[in-house]
Amino acid sequence: MYEEPYRWVEAIGNRRQYLDEQLKQGSPVVALSYADGALLLTVSRGTPKLYEIYDRIGLGGIGHPADLEKLRFSLLEMAHLEGFNRSPSDVTGARMMKLGLAPIIKQAFEEIFKAPFIVKILLAELSLKPGKDTFLTIDYDGTFEETSGCAVLAATKTIEARMVGYLKQAGHAPTLSLDAALALAAKAWAVGSLAQAAETETDRKDEKESNTPVAKEPEDAALLAHLRETLADKTLEGAVLERQAPGSSKYRVLTREELASLVPKSAPAST
Amino acid sequence: MGMQGDFLQLLKEQGYQIGTSVPAGTEIEITRGTTILAMKYRDGVLVAGDRRATAGNMVMYDRTDKVLELDRHSVMAIAGVPATAYEMVRVLEHSFKYYRRTQLQDLSFEGKLRAVSKLLKDNVAAALAGTGAVAPIFAGYDFEQGSAKIYFYDILGAEFEGVEYAVSGSGSPTIRGILHYVNTWGGQPLAVLSEEEATIQALRLLTCAAEFDSATGGVNHEANLYPVVKLITERGLQTVPDTTLKSLFESRVTRKG
Repeated sequence: MYEEPYRWVEAIGNRRQYLDEQLKQGSPVVALSYADGALLLTVSRGTPKLYEIYDRIGLGGIGHPADLEKLRFSLLEMAHLEGFNRSPSDVTGARMMKLGLAPIIKQAFEEIFKAPFIVKILLAELSLKPGKDTFLTIDYDGTFEETSGCAVLAATKTIEARMVGYLKQAGHAPTLSLDAALALAAKAWAVGSLAQAAETETDRKDEKESNTPVAKEPEDAALLAHLRETLADKTLEGAVLERQAPGSSKYRVLTREELASLVPKSAPAST
Repeated sequence: MGMQGDFLQLLKEQGYQIGTSVPAGTEIEITRGTTILAMKYRDGVLVAGDRRATAGNMVMYDRTDKVLELDRHSVMAIAGVPATAYEMVRVLEHSFKYYRRTQLQDLSFEGKLRAVSKLLKDNVAAALAGTGAVAPIFAGYDFEQGSAKIYFYDILGAEFEGVEYAVSGSGSPTIRGILHYVNTWGGQPLAVLSEEEATIQALRLLTCAAEFDSATGGVNHEANLYPVVKLITERGLQTVPDTTLKSLFESRVTRKG
């Protein structure tokens, strides 16, 4: 029945709807440059969502853990073979995205008799010089983009734009200290998470007209309160790519202690 | 197979093979690397190597680095054919990283030892043919046991633990005896030496090796060329800077007057 072109277009449309629905509950991911490198932050439940891919490349994802795992392995395989056969400098974020992820994701998305990957992926690549870090994001249909400074993943494009808007407006600069960058990333995460919750709510009430752009994001206190509430049953997950780290691997998972300062004191004791 | 984090297996699936069993031609002098040593001291393990690579009577290179970092807590010091040894180091380095990144945990110390053995075993044909014989020393920090350890290998891949020290390469017979003497009847056993004292011993030993083995570079003070000395402790790996080696050599190794 899908042989007819319009059926195929229809099927793709259904597929988008299905994927949007699946990703609605995903926890946003924030990545940004700071003074000593690049930071990745998210909140996860059980399965981690941030991973090391290569010497200078980190990955953040939202979606189905099994799909994320499959794509992570294919990236790891490609990166390590390339780094071994050529040189670690030839393993770049852009090549990993264009050759390693995009074709696989797009093909799976369009082969309507097979299951698509329920994922959105972000790659953060640490540059040799400060201020030149690259961030690449890819959607479930295989479209990808490259940015510098910061990048985010969230359930919808609109919410992603709001989060990036928030980061810019709240004064993100690549010269921030790690503490400042962490605090900012956590608030941007809350902006995304609250927006996703609001959208789900709107869907339920079926009030499409109220889905107008928000003029102002919530105050810091509201953002932190939301973060605190979420962390009651979930965990904050952070990783950095540190330019000055000794050795060739620059990726490091942030410790619980380093992340603890993000949750204000009024939080229920959770150590 | 990739799922199990085995990088060597992944390479083999791509048609990769370490070492080729082409017999060495009688006319060709193959490049070789020479004296390396590892010894336990108070805080961990010291690994050192001279800088010379030779092909027959010819000095190929005087700035060879024979003590190569595999990760933040382990090194492989190489003696034998550098072409094969460097390749092994590259495979190991990528194997450890690949394992850690896929399995989300570090490869165990035991696992690292096995990886070295496996590569040497795959290389046996080349080792026996004479084109790829490598006898390395592997040293690293074993977090399970909470101590730094030394292992050395023959060219066929047999693994031996160097409880106090290990040596390899053409200059090693000279210093093996000295190490035994110093450790048994010297003022104090090697295991209690401070970082500085251990470094001085390493410089003296490599100087001795160079005295009796033309293929060992030792210390070339005039050219400002010092051996490579690395220290492995629980905190990680560090390279002793040339400036430190220079000042220790001048004050504690050269005989005054």
